[in-house]
Amino acid sequence: MAHPTALMIIGAILFGLGVTGFLTRRNMIVMFLCTEIMFQGVLVNLVAMGMMNSNLQGQVLGLFVLVIAAVEAGLGLAIVVMLYRRSGTLDAESWRGMRG
Amino acid sequence: MLSEQLVYWAYGVGAVGALGVYFGLPKEGRPDRKGLFVLLLGATLGGLVLLLDRLLGDSANRLVFFILALLGVGGAIRVVTHPRPVYSALYFILVVLSTAALIISVGAEFLGAALVIVYAGAILVTYVFVIMLSQQSPQAGGRFASLLDYDRSAREPVWAVLAGFVLIATIAAIIVKRDWSGWEEAGAAALAKENTLHLGKMLMTEFAISVELAAVLLMVAMIGAIAVARKRIPRADDDAGALPTGEIGKTVDPF
Repeated sequence: MAHPTALMIIGAILFGLGVTGFLTRRNMIVMFLCTEIMFQGVLVNLVAMGMMNSNLQGQVLGLFVLVIAAVEAGLGLAIVVMLYRRSGTLDAESWRGMRG
Repeated sequence: MLSEQLVYWAYGVGAVGALGVYFGLPKEGRPDRKGLFVLLLGATLGGLVLLLDRLLGDSANRLVFFILALLGVGGAIRVVTHPRPVYSALYFILVVLSTAALIISVGAEFLGAALVIVYAGAILVTYVFVIMLSQQSPQAGGRFASLLDYDRSAREPVWAVLAGFVLIATIAAIIVKRDWSGWEEAGAAALAKENTLHLGKMLMTEFAISVELAAVLLMVAMIGAIAVARKRIPRADDDAGALPTGEIGKTVDPF
């Protein structure tokens, strides 16, 4: 069985790539996909931490992360569709007025 | 000092990966640097394999681990850098499947199966639906002729790549530097045995209230999504549908 540190490295890389994509992409759908990549990184990390402590609590927490990811995808995409119908574009820059 | 070497190795791999992702990001008006992107991507993934090789030691199934790790990380890089959203979603399926296989290979069978069903089955279908719902007719001209203007160029690529990869390098350095020798394989192997049975027992006893709360949360989110999607939203440039300040849409009768 693989050592958990290798899994943690994979988790860190997935999370960092998600952060990069979220900051740099302008398409709102791709931004949400990047948050899902961050969720994947966290999930891998939780499994690795559970292995490290020899209990199942990491995997239970991972299941709840899965629930939160589903909720986030549903509500987030509903909001994206609403914003698209309002402005006619998926560009996140078109809502820069909300920056204040 | 093995761990000191590994720290510098992690920093080096992170730097090469940052350059690779930077050259891979779409940017209008910049010459095509696909060759450089592929070269740096290969260098990053090769360095990652060497780093993981040191960490894994002589454990079994390391070849499987390498292949899954490369598929996952390479797929994630393509999700971030691919200019077309549909392809990003398809590469994301690759990421999900390889992550699921990775955690199944260390014994988390139920979580891996749930990942495939929920992510690759349900969430990705929603994403593809929304991408299809909001397709626009693209404008003409240039290398990205068939793309929309906001997919053609990334926003602040230098700073975003720097932020992401400084984070990766720091976390990776901390992980390889720490002494993890307290871990024993026997404990993890015991968890992998009858994983679903023990997970189910734990969920239904210790975490029963959390499971109920998760169900309530899912239902609230479902109702919220329906409520958000039911509203008729006037276009911002549509004068006839102009609303008083503070209102984001017209109200409808409850169902």
